[in-house]
Amino acid sequence: MIRTIKPKNARSKRALAKKEAKLVENTKSALFVPGSSGSKVLHDSMVDLMAIKKPFAKKFSKKNDIRPFEDYSELEFFSEKNDSSIIVFSSHNKKRPNNLIISRFFNYKVYDMIELTILNYKLLQDFKKVTFTIGLKPMFVFNGPLFDSHPVYMHLKSLFMDLYRGEETDLQDAAGLQYIIALSAGELSESNINNDINDNNNKNLPNLHFRVYKLKTFRSGQKLPRVEIDEIGPRFDFKIGRRITPSEEVEKQAMERPKQLQAKTKKNVSTDFMGDKVAQIHMGKQDLGKLQTRKMKGLKARYDQDSDFDEENDQDFGEGYEDAMESDIEYDAPQSKKQKV
Amino acid sequence: MSTEKEYKPVTVDKLIPNTFDLGNLATFDPNPLDNSKLNNDNEREEYLTSVTRDNVQLLINQILSLPVKTTTDSQVTSTGQNSTMTLIQLPEPTTLLPREKSVPKAKAPTKWEQFAARKGIKAKAKDGKLIYDEASGEWVPKWGYKGKNKELDSQWLVEVEDKVKNTDKELIDPRTLKRAERKKLVKKNELQHKRNLKNQST
Repeated sequence: MIRTIKPKNARSKRALAKKEAKLVENTKSALFVPGSSGSKVLHDSMVDLMAIKKPFAKKFSKKNDIRPFEDYSELEFFSEKNDSSIIVFSSHNKKRPNNLIISRFFNYKVYDMIELTILNYKLLQDFKKVTFTIGLKPMFVFNGPLFDSHPVYMHLKSLFMDLYRGEETDLQDAAGLQYIIALSAGELSESNINNDINDNNNKNLPNLHFRVYKLKTFRSGQKLPRVEIDEIGPRFDFKIGRRITPSEEVEKQAMERPKQLQAKTKKNVSTDFMGDKVAQIHMGKQDLGKLQTRKMKGLKARYDQDSDFDEENDQDFGEGYEDAMESDIEYDAPQSKKQKV
Repeated sequence: MSTEKEYKPVTVDKLIPNTFDLGNLATFDPNPLDNSKLNNDNEREEYLTSVTRDNVQLLINQILSLPVKTTTDSQVTSTGQNSTMTLIQLPEPTTLLPREKSVPKAKAPTKWEQFAARKGIKAKAKDGKLIYDEASGEWVPKWGYKGKNKELDSQWLVEVEDKVKNTDKELIDPRTLKRAERKKLVKKNELQHKRNLKNQST
């Protein structure tokens, strides 16, 4: 835990307020931490993975002797200190070479963690293609039924969407649709289907293919364009390793949607079979005594004989209200008013 | 160039239709991939690209059929001209992603707020810091520097209050008494504030 002190000036107060839990959350920022031993592959991969995450990314340059699956308290400290809820940790050793451990945090505590081993790769610099401007929202494509059914791949789906989706918005500039992150996974092999699906250290799961493409659109003679894609990198094939999953309690807490943000159901409003909006409105009782009738000199109040003229007009307009409203415009003045002095 | 060009199709046929999460600009293709092609180093990239292209086509078709809002933002571009932007209105994201921090809890009511709610007391509207000083005919602050609550301090003659009469405080300077009273109120308020903070944290 980091000691919290009472802010002494406005700047530090703002900085603390920024870190506080918010109703509508900021974009998750990622922290890239190298492990105690590394390789060039890992370093370059981290740089490339960070390039897509910019500007919500931070990178450590010093090595850190941490084994996340044994003791992750240090990572939790980094998460709190840097206010970042995703940490990409790299480690390289004989048993598990070229490992990336991606962990997510909830309230600065480890939420989940997954180990990905880089098998094949092609870096951004090897593609030598024009890439995209930073800070754009990517489009996601998930190929394979495993992303909807297998817990490990559902975890990966959630993780990569969380990592790269960028700012949450309800308006997207059409010109900002520039690149695609595609994740693909093949079929489970025969031996795997019989295995327990919830086994966290499941071996021989199909690899995860991470590809990034640039979008190109061509005229198609119709309104919708013909889409072509061009790989811009980075390209990774990941083998899936160890995994930590959140406890049910924590998961429930993290998935909670604030009540204030949930859309309220509108009462009395519905859409009929023609697609027209139908609503029932409730109005107060109309006071016909104050109704403006035809303006004539003879109808002025001072020419009134008796003041209780509106009694005879008191009808119940509860049901046929709208009809009454229309006809009232042409309404003739009440009898009593017409009489002149 | 001929105008009667052969256009490539914009539609894609899928065995099982894709699902979309347009709020996150994502599509999920439930059709199984061919493992033999994925494991073959020569075929893999071409295969993945073709599958992804089809899915992107489907996704783009969906995104571009969403309602569009065109704005003429007075954004100063490098050319110094106003630019129109085509903004696509995205629906709410459907994929549930974990929050970064838990939903903030509502602040616990203070002891006064509890009492006010019980008695049905509504908060007074704020009427500003200044008050009219009839003696000088000016607007003076209610408290603080040259505040109205300190007006006794500068007067050369101060009446002894009725409640002090015939007590041991009768001979003390009324200005000192008044000042002590003010300080006491500040202390009391601080104490209450601390107590409320303590109640909130538990």
